Amino acid sequence: MTSSVDLAHQSAEQTNGPAHRDALEQRRQDRFTRVEPRGARTFTGRERAQMLLDDGTFVEISPLRTAGTSGSGVVIGWGLVDGRPVVVASHDAAVASGAIGAVFAETVQRAQRLAIDQGYPIVYINDSGGARIHDGVHALHGCGGIFTNNVIASATIPQISLILGPCAGAAAYSPALTDWTIMVKGQGQMFLTGPDIVKAATGEDATADEIGGSALHTSKSGVAHLEVETELEALEAARDLLSFLPSHVGAPMPVREAVPADPAAVARLPHVVPEKSSIIFDVNDVLDGVLDAGERFEISPTYAPSVVTVLGRIDGRPVAIVANQPKARGGILDSKASVKISRFVAWAARFGLPVITLVDVPGFLPGTVEEGRGVITHGATMLKAYVEATSPVLTVVLRKAYGGAYIAMGARSLGADFTWAWSGSEIAVMGPGGAVALLHRRALKEAEDPVALRDELAADYREQVARPYLAAEAGILDDVIHAEETRDRIVQALRLLEPAVRA
Amino acid sequence: MTAGTGVAARAEIVANVWKLLTEVGAEVAQGDVLAVLETMKMELPVHAPATGTVTSVPVAEGQIVQEGDVIAVVG
Repeated sequence: MTSSVDLAHQSAEQTNGPAHRDALEQRRQDRFTRVEPRGARTFTGRERAQMLLDDGTFVEISPLRTAGTSGSGVVIGWGLVDGRPVVVASHDAAVASGAIGAVFAETVQRAQRLAIDQGYPIVYINDSGGARIHDGVHALHGCGGIFTNNVIASATIPQISLILGPCAGAAAYSPALTDWTIMVKGQGQMFLTGPDIVKAATGEDATADEIGGSALHTSKSGVAHLEVETELEALEAARDLLSFLPSHVGAPMPVREAVPADPAAVARLPHVVPEKSSIIFDVNDVLDGVLDAGERFEISPTYAPSVVTVLGRIDGRPVAIVANQPKARGGILDSKASVKISRFVAWAARFGLPVITLVDVPGFLPGTVEEGRGVITHGATMLKAYVEATSPVLTVVLRKAYGGAYIAMGARSLGADFTWAWSGSEIAVMGPGGAVALLHRRALKEAEDPVALRDELAADYREQVARPYLAAEAGILDDVIHAEETRDRIVQALRLLEPAVRA
Repeated sequence: MTAGTGVAARAEIVANVWKLLTEVGAEVAQGDVLAVLETMKMELPVHAPATGTVTSVPVAEGQIVQEGDVIAVVG
């Protein structure tokens, strides 16, 4: 005779007994068996996802998803970065070299939808040979779906791509649709097709790094924005980048306790910019005297280095700094510099980051090469980015701002909220030398000592026409300031304008 | 050391070679200024990419150089 207690026990065994537990354990074991990473790789796809996130916070989504006899080829889930939720999709190169099949693509899209719907950043850890040939048009259809989600996501959430292995075709396009791409030197590549197919298609002989290595993409093509040495550095860089960003457009800014600027750098500020406008200097010395001391994140340091684009903090608030860098190519603007700035400004403004522009620009580089590259279009895109920026825009002229480049570097006419100029700066349609040569052509031609006359006229022009007081008197500048007052002016303005950021 | 071998210092932008401050055979340290280019009214120093002997200076003062042109070679 069986008692009711025995019956209950038996029933529990039937639904949740050891056999079922064993079956689940077996499946988990099959799926989670670690496959030693190949080549230069350090960690598996799952380990990378875990290491991106705060310790022990990674929660995997649909780990049992299969494509035929193997896993989906991508590990997705979510966890915390500095305590805030972040979604991750990490390619598993141990499954068909991370090739994107139909199931893989569905799985990535699941992660994308979660990030978009809940308003959290997504980090893509890429290590994929591209579309899975066996899946035919289903693979292509899935890749297109990933791209579409990339575009939809870009309107509302941060998207960061890490390139930790050779990424071909579709695996290279998706990162190009995200905000920022970080590559590991010698290990990550991005190309439409790899060396073998290039050789077959055109006869060109080139290595994987020559076609799509980090040096090419972070210095020449601009496809990627940061080159790092190791996988760990790439994961760390993604965390750093996220520390400056809200979780989604309109979410609260990650404001930290304000840290003063380095006092030594502030004291040096009045002496950083050489009096003579033709002498170069390092604009990072100005940044040191303006930003909160400590962490700073430079984007695209080696692409178009005549301008710098930096994330930092002022008064504890994240800010996006755009500055000419006289030390590199004289700080000029050209096609690449315009592309770099317009992308950065549009992105920063979308996430509500104040855009602070530090100007010392000799002008747009003229000539056949630049016109051939379409500098007019690229320069116009830069104007558009500033005009459309809805976050606070603050502009400081450090030394010289001439012509179209003056306008393009966040001038008042483009909608800057506040504009200031240092007392020694020059703002004019063109530099004194060029202006004098045009305005006094005849007098210079007839002069006994044209060089002396030119210098005299240029000095006169500098004082009478180009000094910033004319712009301040006309209300085009809000004020002329001492170098060491820069940070305080910016702090005051940000405290005033900040409610607009959060609106 | 044969002439012209070593590490090249290149023009970073289209410019006029304003001042040449080195010659073949000169001993230079990494970071020394080998030449000053002039473009867009800016004076742009060209630094020695390595420490060694200058083995080649294929440009002259007043010459226009394009981005990437060799200014000097240090062997």
